[in-house]
Amino acid sequence: MANISFRGVTKRWGAFVGVHELHLEVADQEFLVLLGPSGCGKTTTMRMVAGLEDPSEGEIWIGEDVVNDMSPRERDVAMVFQNYGLYPHMTVRDNIGYPLKVRGTPKAEAKAMIQAAAEKVELVPFLDRKPAALSGGQRQRVALARSLVRTPRVFLMDEPLSNLDAKLRVTMRAELKHLHHELRVTTIYVTHDQMEAMTLATRVAVMNKGIIQQLDAPEVIYNDPANLFVAGFIGSPSMNLVEGRLENGGFHAGLIAVPGVGGGNRENIVLGIRPEDVTVGAPGSGQFDMEVYTVELTGESILVTARAGKTQLTAHADRHFRCEIGERVGMSFDVARTYLFDAKSEERIRL
Amino acid sequence: MTDTPLPGTRPNTQDSSTPEQRRIRRLRRQRAMNTFEAAVMIVIIVLVLFPIGWMVATAFKSPAVVYQYTMWFEPTLENFRNIFSERWNIGKNILNSSIVAISVVIIATPLAVGAAYAFSRLMFPLKRTMFQWILLTQFIPAVAIVLPFYVMFRTLNLLDTYFALIIVNLSGVLPYAIWTIKGFIDAIPIEAEEAARIDGAGRFRVIWDIVVPMAWPGIMTAAIFCLILTWNEFLFGYLLTRQHAVPLPVGLISFVLERGTVWELVAATGIIITIPMFFFAMIIQRHFTKGMNLGAVR
Repeated sequence: MANISFRGVTKRWGAFVGVHELHLEVADQEFLVLLGPSGCGKTTTMRMVAGLEDPSEGEIWIGEDVVNDMSPRERDVAMVFQNYGLYPHMTVRDNIGYPLKVRGTPKAEAKAMIQAAAEKVELVPFLDRKPAALSGGQRQRVALARSLVRTPRVFLMDEPLSNLDAKLRVTMRAELKHLHHELRVTTIYVTHDQMEAMTLATRVAVMNKGIIQQLDAPEVIYNDPANLFVAGFIGSPSMNLVEGRLENGGFHAGLIAVPGVGGGNRENIVLGIRPEDVTVGAPGSGQFDMEVYTVELTGESILVTARAGKTQLTAHADRHFRCEIGERVGMSFDVARTYLFDAKSEERIRL
Repeated sequence: MTDTPLPGTRPNTQDSSTPEQRRIRRLRRQRAMNTFEAAVMIVIIVLVLFPIGWMVATAFKSPAVVYQYTMWFEPTLENFRNIFSERWNIGKNILNSSIVAISVVIIATPLAVGAAYAFSRLMFPLKRTMFQWILLTQFIPAVAIVLPFYVMFRTLNLLDTYFALIIVNLSGVLPYAIWTIKGFIDAIPIEAEEAARIDGAGRFRVIWDIVVPMAWPGIMTAAIFCLILTWNEFLFGYLLTRQHAVPLPVGLISFVLERGTVWELVAATGIIITIPMFFFAMIIQRHFTKGMNLGAVR
């Protein structure tokens, strides 16, 4: 077990910068999630830890070692791949046992370790099968068992759940969380799924264009986004972002006006508010009226998307709320839960 | 759709027949097609198999009936006894061909696996160009380079040796083997190799434990093709050997005598040449289908 440290790490391919000047400390036993859209550099960051990619600049430390010039083997890490990376010509038992075989673990000892790993992920009945005879979820477990059969210093997981169906993903997510609690191995987990990030992470690093946008606990990322990118990326349905201006502390955008936002007078503002902080009611009952554009029942709530002029907002309404497309509704913002951003720099404006 | 056609429109022919009629028509068409296909197949089979059948028949004919167009004769093993006799000593040619072909396969296969892996997975300068040049060598007609080879081996005093034949055949089969095996390695998902490296395997271990087993059908196919190509090779064998290293196909020349060709012995030797290759071809076919089915786990 060990901490991981990125010190000014940059990865370039020709003129393309994959990761830019990364400084990041991952604490021992931490579960760090790298979250971001595809091409943001999260996978590259992780592959540099694994030794599958060499940094162009900077140092990567695992524990007390600079690992830049170490082979993957010497780094003592384990990785779970998106496509599982199983060995199709080997049985499940041999797949799980491969890291032990390569490292010359005595056979009897290896056998016990394989058994223990298989038990941990409930694969015992499948040990003699080939991967082709397994379901997606079972293959995922083989990959997981192979990574935890020997206790590595670091776990690396590259979108391990993204090839599973939605239901299985939720189950496996819970299992991963439990496994981490049990094994306490430092983990870097790459995903573009914010639910995985929120549920699994000790801390989340939101990445975009090779740069960490915000690094914090999941609830801080959600409740206190550092900039427009994080605000827009985290949350489903995503945060409403409305371009407008401040006038005497009130927010104005086209046909809508919300008093009491604060900040005096200012142009080029983006106001962000999460759908759950917008209330919908009868016309005239709120701060402004809008016309319903679409209504979606999710079961636990109703998503109302409404328009006024060019402005469009989505609100989480109570699940018993009913309205029709084209109807007028009154909308209000919970002013205390609004976020202001500079439209040009995209940075958060804190009042 | 309406049951009565509108005035002025042509009734839809399809709709005017009952489903039963349509079914029968379809069956008839199918049967006609099948008959046609069968006829074409038979023609092709006859064209391909007739010469082979003729060779087989001739091999078992006694010299007296060789020139008769008959399939009714008393089969004899005399020709086979004859070719292995001291006079013709085909056994020596079989030995020569076996030594050369097996050496070529043993040398070519690991070399091709290494080269194919490098071309598939590693980054090095001029990779594309080198690969293209290797393939280009396959388009050079053998006749065009046999003379330089002859001069080269004469200078090196290596004419009529196994060594010369092995080298020449290697240069012929290696590009093909590299190309075939590379295709199979390309199809292996890189994750399996990366996983193995993280699991602790070095480059060679990855090749041995992961790449070779997963590309095995391709490697077997390439190896057997190398064997067949070398075994059947004639031109280089003809010009680069005299007595000592004469390979089997070239041995056939000795049946061309001043009084004419001894066809029954040519045919008997032809069977000896063909039989092992026939079995190898069957192995290839099995491996090829297996290769198609194996695929990677996704």
